[in-house]
Amino acid sequence: MKTYFRVAPLALAISAGGAVAQSNDEAVAQMQQQLNSMQQQLNSVKNDRVRFNGFFSTGYSRASNDVGFTGVSEDSSVGDQSLLALQGTFDVTEKSQAVMQLVGRGYEDWEPVIEWAYLSHRPTNNLQLRAGKMRLPFFMYSDSLEVGYSQPWARPPQSVYGPIESTSYVGADATYTINLDNSAITTQAFTGFNDQNTRSATTEFRNLIGSTVSWTDYLWTVRAVAVTTEATVEATRLAERAASFGIQLPPGTTTLADSDRANFFGVGFSYDDGTWQVISEVTRSEVDGRFTDTDSAYISAGRRFGSWTPYLAIGWSETQDDDERTGEFLPTVPEAILNTRRDEYSVGTRWDITPGVAIKMDVTHVRGFEDAPGGLNQDYVLVNEKNSTNVYTLKLDSAF
Amino acid sequence: MSKYSLTLLASLLASPIAMAEVVVIGHTAGPDSITQNQVRDIYLNRSQELPDGQKAKAFELPEGNGTRGEFHGKVTGRNDAQLKAFWSQQVFTGRGQPPEEHANAAAMKATVASTPGAIGYIDSADVDSSVKVILTP
Repeated sequence: MKTYFRVAPLALAISAGGAVAQSNDEAVAQMQQQLNSMQQQLNSVKNDRVRFNGFFSTGYSRASNDVGFTGVSEDSSVGDQSLLALQGTFDVTEKSQAVMQLVGRGYEDWEPVIEWAYLSHRPTNNLQLRAGKMRLPFFMYSDSLEVGYSQPWARPPQSVYGPIESTSYVGADATYTINLDNSAITTQAFTGFNDQNTRSATTEFRNLIGSTVSWTDYLWTVRAVAVTTEATVEATRLAERAASFGIQLPPGTTTLADSDRANFFGVGFSYDDGTWQVISEVTRSEVDGRFTDTDSAYISAGRRFGSWTPYLAIGWSETQDDDERTGEFLPTVPEAILNTRRDEYSVGTRWDITPGVAIKMDVTHVRGFEDAPGGLNQDYVLVNEKNSTNVYTLKLDSAF
Repeated sequence: MSKYSLTLLASLLASPIAMAEVVVIGHTAGPDSITQNQVRDIYLNRSQELPDGQKAKAFELPEGNGTRGEFHGKVTGRNDAQLKAFWSQQVFTGRGQPPEEHANAAAMKATVASTPGAIGYIDSADVDSSVKVILTP
């Protein structure tokens, strides 16, 4: 086979040499032209049509006890903080793209999950339409939730980013940007549905509709979001924990919401002048019935000193409908174990080793949850009467 | 002799301006001028349009390049690490891809010269008739 390919052009050259000696120059010119256009096509394929990017995080977290803030306990492993993602961007036409992102997480045994899979179309410079699987834009950093490298912190403030574990939806959105002289207003409307297995529950959102509006002068950014949906929440972790104590819960016990109306509202702002970076978000989520209504907020401030960016963050989260959870899942397990209240204090630093790689160190102190340990290991907190926990994190984030 | 030294003096005087000044270049069929804010918006993924309505195609020199540093210092106000973090956010939120990079001024010039809608930057000393200077930031 190999030999054939080597011999064929030679044979062609010999036969052509005798027959059309006169038009040699013409043929060379033509071949040159073909070669050029092939080269051009090759270049355009290489440079424009398909692009691959990825991001990677790894690190180690350890807590001072087993309260379980953000899932970290006294014996955590490196795998828990590790993830690897690959993204392909395919230019379908000049104005349309297909984007797919695969994420493998250490705590899911590296099984690749499709986080993004959508088609986007840009009919004008200002309008972008997308359809497929996308991130739910609840928060300012929702779209880059797992891209640690693009964030200032070791992890997004859990007071706001923690309570809602559903992160993606299948549907469509439209984004319209108005460029003003030195600022821009971006409006996004989206609709779709969600089916997701998260760390503590399986969730279903039906007839999801939402909108975000943001304004930026590239120094300040202000953003508002509102979302409404019919939510079904099945508390799988609660069921598992009960089962681990040999308790068989009656059917329906762990159904925390069943096609109940759920609303989400949030406002946020950020300031970044290249030296100082201040970010804050305030959110409210409301679900009819016994599922928690939660108010959350955080503010963080960081300052760049060359390649070092130390930061401070404080956060707060509290359920607002504790009086609605008077019943019990079981005789010894009151619904009140879902009640949540806590304060979070983080101090840490980002260190940019080289463009594309950053190391982060973080200490987060969490307290004030002794009476309302929702989202933590409730039985551990209540039995051991714990009222605080420290989580230490060392993390490496990279984008390539 | 005096004529010779005069030329030398003139070139010495001219050299600080001629040698190390970054200029924004465009395809010869593109617009004749562009504002600094428009260039910034294109390089920070806020706009994909040239002033004449053509789709803009921006190009960069590699990280660590002196001309690149000067351009971003003047136009976007961001260093290489900040740009990398910014683009990682844009890429992984599906908002766009960073400008293609070219190894040196010659490659940048050749691509801008042959790509309609192209915009790039090089040292003013490297400019020739294959491209046109549309802004001196």
